[in-house]
Amino acid sequence: MKSLKIYLKDDKNKKLVISSLSVLTMFLAWVFVTETGLANPLFLPGPKAIWLSFLECLHEGYQGSTLVEHVATSLYRILAAFLLACLVGVPLGIFMGISKTINAMFNPFIEFYRPLPPLGLYTLLVMWLGIGEASKLALLFLAGLPGIIIATIQAVRDINPTLVLATRSLGAKKMDLIREVYLPGAGPTILTGMRISLGFVYTVLVAAEIVAASAGIGWMIWDAAKFLLSDVVIMGLIVLGLTGIALDFTMRLIGYLIMPWTRAAGLNSKV
Amino acid sequence: MKFNKLMIGLLSCALTLPAFADDKPEEVTIGYLNLVNAQLVTKSLGLVQKEMPGVKINYIKVGGGGDMLRAIAGKQVDFGGLGNPPTAIGVTRGLPIQGIMVLNMLDYVEAMAVRPSAGIKNFRDLKGKKIAAPFGSTTHYLLLNALNDEGIDPASMDIIDLRPNDIALAWSRGDIDAAWFWEPALGKVLKGGDAHLFTTSGIYASRGYPTWDVGVVMDSFAEKYPDYVKKFIKAECEGIDFWLNNPAETAKIIAEELELTLEDATRMMKGTEMVPCSKQLTQQYMGDGGAESGFVKTLMSTGNFLYEQKRLPKAAEVDLFTDFMRTDYLEEVVK
Repeated sequence: MKSLKIYLKDDKNKKLVISSLSVLTMFLAWVFVTETGLANPLFLPGPKAIWLSFLECLHEGYQGSTLVEHVATSLYRILAAFLLACLVGVPLGIFMGISKTINAMFNPFIEFYRPLPPLGLYTLLVMWLGIGEASKLALLFLAGLPGIIIATIQAVRDINPTLVLATRSLGAKKMDLIREVYLPGAGPTILTGMRISLGFVYTVLVAAEIVAASAGIGWMIWDAAKFLLSDVVIMGLIVLGLTGIALDFTMRLIGYLIMPWTRAAGLNSKV
Repeated sequence: MKFNKLMIGLLSCALTLPAFADDKPEEVTIGYLNLVNAQLVTKSLGLVQKEMPGVKINYIKVGGGGDMLRAIAGKQVDFGGLGNPPTAIGVTRGLPIQGIMVLNMLDYVEAMAVRPSAGIKNFRDLKGKKIAAPFGSTTHYLLLNALNDEGIDPASMDIIDLRPNDIALAWSRGDIDAAWFWEPALGKVLKGGDAHLFTTSGIYASRGYPTWDVGVVMDSFAEKYPDYVKKFIKAECEGIDFWLNNPAETAKIIAEELELTLEDATRMMKGTEMVPCSKQLTQQYMGDGGAESGFVKTLMSTGNFLYEQKRLPKAAEVDLFTDFMRTDYLEEVVK
């Protein structure tokens, strides 16, 4: 008992225990309502049904592709679009943060399309780019872009101006400034922006895979819903959620590795 | 003071509601499919409203069978319309619905169009091509059955899930080579020129794959307001009779409801077969609702097909379908 108290004194351990307990409670509530027949199995199947559908999709697949193929298809779409969003968003954000002129040039467009609902945007993208991969990637890309840009602008503006002046007085050119001061200084905030952005990309995945897909975890969820296969729907959502957590962890890991100056905070902390 | 009024209000609500609940619904929500049938006439002429004075009638347009299933599962409609594949899915999965009447039989209002430049002369030529159909709908079902009959593996082509309106859009961009879908989107594609008719749902009906839409009611509604189910059927029957007796007037209504030209509306009307209610209880259609009636047979073969396709977790059960088919309401209406 005493050792437990000591164990819980550490904030990190306490968090872990509470989180585990709340997940366990949720799970037990799920078991309870499904086992007692309180929930209609058509809408909420029990954990066992979900597990069985997971095994079946893993081994036999869902409509022509195995679960791994569905996940791989979606991950490819997500990562390709997200990478593109980072490649465009981070430099653009830095320039927009440094230069008021560039900011004024791009800001209206970003502010305008950022709050648009993805499905509305998607109709137009399908008209322009067709029903293939291009429109799907474009939608995911557009979903990820603003978060990265806005975080990067903020990160650049938060940098202590004395640092910039000091570096300049030592003869640094604009490109040196970006490489030596802005990027390292803004790195942690940019990473946070990227993580939030990845979340946005995730939220539009199902929307992006509704039109004319025949694989992908988002498509699988959508298709299964049409045939009232709620076990596949819930299983798909769980897989989607877990891959999301895994991706987010990977991002933090990358940040930890390439930005050693942030390590004091530890890998578990929110950067 | 305010509080007292509120309490009195609440109390009187609580006291009066049960008394009225059994004879009259406050509002009735009808989900109708975005296709050409007499429900548009019934809606336009306000026939349901005429049968149900004092009841608020809401109409919701639903894109296809898959969406209608979701609307039913979410209890967003009281009455709906379903093609045979979504019906087989919904009933096998235990949705609380009853089939009460024939809305329409599908002829060439549903058809498969191919792009002439794609060089598709028969089903074998579809190999390696991109074909669209709304998954889970009647046309998706017919496409897979047709391929099955020809002994062609569906995996040898790229079959994609698109709704009719998206098919028209994808067609105009040249993204797809063939599609099996329905009016009014079908007409737009055929009219565009870069398409010709390959086969129709009517042709497949004569080959033993009839497709149709059945009117359904939620169990809970039918239990509470059986009289209103009859009123609904009566109104729809009137709409069907109007369609059969006044084709010119009907074409005008369809044209207006779906924003079509009169010419298009007339053509589409001919592609849909309306069955007068007096004939719906023959064995070809709902019959006695037993295992040998046409509709139950179709549901059985549809259900088994979907099971083979792994779209249904269990094989079709004839009892579920005979329970689903309720002929008693219609019997009393046409009596």
